[in-house]
Amino acid sequence: MKSEKCKTARVNSLILTFAICILHFSFVRDLYAQGPFYQGKTVKFAVGYLAGDTHDQLARAYSRTLGKHIPGNPEIIVQNMPGAGSIIAANYVYGVAKPDGLTLGSISPALYLEQLTGRKEVQFDWAKFSWIGSPEYNGHLLFMRGDAPYKTLDDIRNATEPPKCSATGAGTSGHFVPRLLEETLGLKFKLVTGYAGGGEQDLAMERGEVQCRAITIAAFFGREPFLSWHKSGFVRILIQTSRRRNPKIPDVPTLFEFMDREKTAEAKRRLALVILGAGGFGSWPIVSTPGLPQDRVKTLREAYARTLKDPAFLDEAKKKGWEIKPISGEDMDGLAREVMAQPPDVIERMKQILAQ
Amino acid sequence: MAELLVMGDAFAKGFWQVLAWPAFGYMLLGIAIGFWVGLLPGIGGLATLALMLPFSYTIKTPIEAFCFLLGMLAVTGTTGDLTSILFGIPGEGSSAALVLDGYPMSKKGEAGRALGAAITSSLVGALIGAFSLALSIPIMRPLVLLFGSPEMFIIAIMGVTFIGTLAGASLLKGLLAGGIGLMLAAIGVDPQTGSLRYTFGQLYLWDRLDIIPVVVGLFAIPEIVDLAVRGTSIAGSRPEKLSGVMEGVKDTFRHFWLVMRCSLIGVYFGVLPVLGANVAQWISYAHAVQGLKDKSRAGQGAVEGVLGPGAANNSTRGGDLIPTVAFGIPGSGSMALLLGALLIVGLNPGPEMLKTHLNVTFAMVWVLIFANIIVAGLCFLVLNHLAALTFIRGSLLIPFLVLLISVGSFTANNSFNDLVATLIFGVLGYFMVLYGWPRPPLILGLILGKIAENYLWISTAAYGAKWLLFPTVLILIALTVFTVAYPTIKERMGKAKYERPEDAI
Repeated sequence: MKSEKCKTARVNSLILTFAICILHFSFVRDLYAQGPFYQGKTVKFAVGYLAGDTHDQLARAYSRTLGKHIPGNPEIIVQNMPGAGSIIAANYVYGVAKPDGLTLGSISPALYLEQLTGRKEVQFDWAKFSWIGSPEYNGHLLFMRGDAPYKTLDDIRNATEPPKCSATGAGTSGHFVPRLLEETLGLKFKLVTGYAGGGEQDLAMERGEVQCRAITIAAFFGREPFLSWHKSGFVRILIQTSRRRNPKIPDVPTLFEFMDREKTAEAKRRLALVILGAGGFGSWPIVSTPGLPQDRVKTLREAYARTLKDPAFLDEAKKKGWEIKPISGEDMDGLAREVMAQPPDVIERMKQILAQ
Repeated sequence: MAELLVMGDAFAKGFWQVLAWPAFGYMLLGIAIGFWVGLLPGIGGLATLALMLPFSYTIKTPIEAFCFLLGMLAVTGTTGDLTSILFGIPGEGSSAALVLDGYPMSKKGEAGRALGAAITSSLVGALIGAFSLALSIPIMRPLVLLFGSPEMFIIAIMGVTFIGTLAGASLLKGLLAGGIGLMLAAIGVDPQTGSLRYTFGQLYLWDRLDIIPVVVGLFAIPEIVDLAVRGTSIAGSRPEKLSGVMEGVKDTFRHFWLVMRCSLIGVYFGVLPVLGANVAQWISYAHAVQGLKDKSRAGQGAVEGVLGPGAANNSTRGGDLIPTVAFGIPGSGSMALLLGALLIVGLNPGPEMLKTHLNVTFAMVWVLIFANIIVAGLCFLVLNHLAALTFIRGSLLIPFLVLLISVGSFTANNSFNDLVATLIFGVLGYFMVLYGWPRPPLILGLILGKIAENYLWISTAAYGAKWLLFPTVLILIALTVFTVAYPTIKERMGKAKYERPEDAI
């Protein structure tokens, strides 16, 4: 009898334990449900370029710190989705990924030019991306070999033979910056396009095959051989395209100063703003899928902004020579709407410039 | 004299720095990774380097960092050759030329000899590459500056003329295949005006055809189908015994001058940015086959066809490093990544490397030497096990191979379309083999078409028509004409000598 009682008690306590467990688990599950959205989730970082590209290196650097700054500490994985100058990745983030804030993209800042010129492969609307942020904005500069007979922009204007500038191809900054200077300041350049990449153009410059080139200020002060070239006077910087003079090159006038001096017509100034708009997105902008819930956009923007201030990230950036001057997602959002709202005649002229 | 002393000192210093612990340990680790990367088809040194880069950031000194990275890169060429020989599937994009004669050797049961030859010629090639790097240190800068866009265009054209040699038995089919290759090279966004050519609305085709899916498709798929149809093991029903490894080693020394010449071809193409191992292997294969007395042996398992590309794809590594070190300008994709790693650990490639960091430059030479000696030894140790794979029943091997080539192709762009491209070129390759169309001219046309087009455009944009009269261009044109005419001249002279006694009688 006693043993039977014991047995019942044991069974009861077992049931009780079981019940507590179930209660406990359901409680924990409830806790989970009320926890941050990103808890236990994975954020995919779609990089529109090959492994090893600066886009890729930055994304991998973010992936080590970004998760820490998002409530719920999701895991961040980088996926390379190279091709078509990052249009593939942009299309993916815009239209294939779910609008849940679990996909980020690192794409070219100049892709909107492809949209404006009406490429049918473009399956995104630049103005509608959820803009997360960008690590830097410095604008472009144009440099000239020191021994070339073009010491100032006036020399270029008065020259019988225009200087030869290198570029990889149409639609890149090496191409559109000189074209824009022709359009706004009446200069003349001879563009030599088709180089496979930066290194090849560096060699062509050393060899004297070309004399000038336009690149971003960030890239110029971010790697060799530019640093040595700059120090030794092998090249001279003639113009920069940002609104204000960059503190690293305080003696170099900006395009806007020149346009004031030359009294460039309003239509052409407008064109300059549209084309240089690409600079306003920095070199390596980060986007997410359109139509995200507002709070999630906010979470991502804040986390990204904190990542760019994270000491671990800044340490790596310093070693790599990346100059971090963040652009906020809000600013990029405004700029994206602005550059996309262009009258047809501006777009028509832009198409001509970019296709030359 | 004082300069020589400085160089000698740096040379010795570099030697000890590589042998020091933990640098040597890092190199062994790199070699271990590179060994497998090379063996696995399609998965190349470039992608692996990109993956390993973050690990190298934690390494403190520059020498230790590139002991790891360069050690890894240096050995992929050797082990990639092994896969090409054993399975007829290129282990690396730059090992594809070894399929042509190496795989027939495996099928004949001569895998041991082919492997021995490939490993030894790889070692010789790598050493020559390393020595060229060391020797060219004083003249690096003028050497690289010698080749401008017009010169590169003529060199690309010289490469195109090798299509004739690679055509094999049927010249017409070879030329047509080369033409198709050149046409395929036109696919994509034209780099000058940005117009789209033959892209058919596919974004995948914007960046031109990636060489990996094409090579894997053309070479691997037909072999797998063939293996499935035959229903035997790769080596057929021969008895399980691997012999002739020493024979292969001896072959390398029997044809030592061929190996030397092909190594120099590799160095030369390594120095020229953009061309690299992918082109060098075919040129040296063509060179090796051109020298065969009995032309019908080509593609049937001639050991010369293994020795040539085996040496060349390894010696390019040394050549690659020359522009990287001298200018901070990478000679290839993998060098671009290596350059990034060097910057992280606080080393500034460029003129500085030839002055203040001369010992580091020499340490690179030593890493190339040590890594290749070690991997050659390692390969000889595991050779028997590797070659035994060719005696495994095909039905057991095929699923494994299909998986590997799919993964390999997929890593080209991480796109499903890579697999589609592999399949399309696989079908094309199968029918090419079936109807006796040579595949190498197509590959060479595809690689060189893009290069030739770009440099022609750049030359004309930069110099108008003036470049045609540059002395270097004229010399290269003469050299091209000579290379094309050489076999004919030799034949004529040979015949003349042979006919003379008859005339006398």
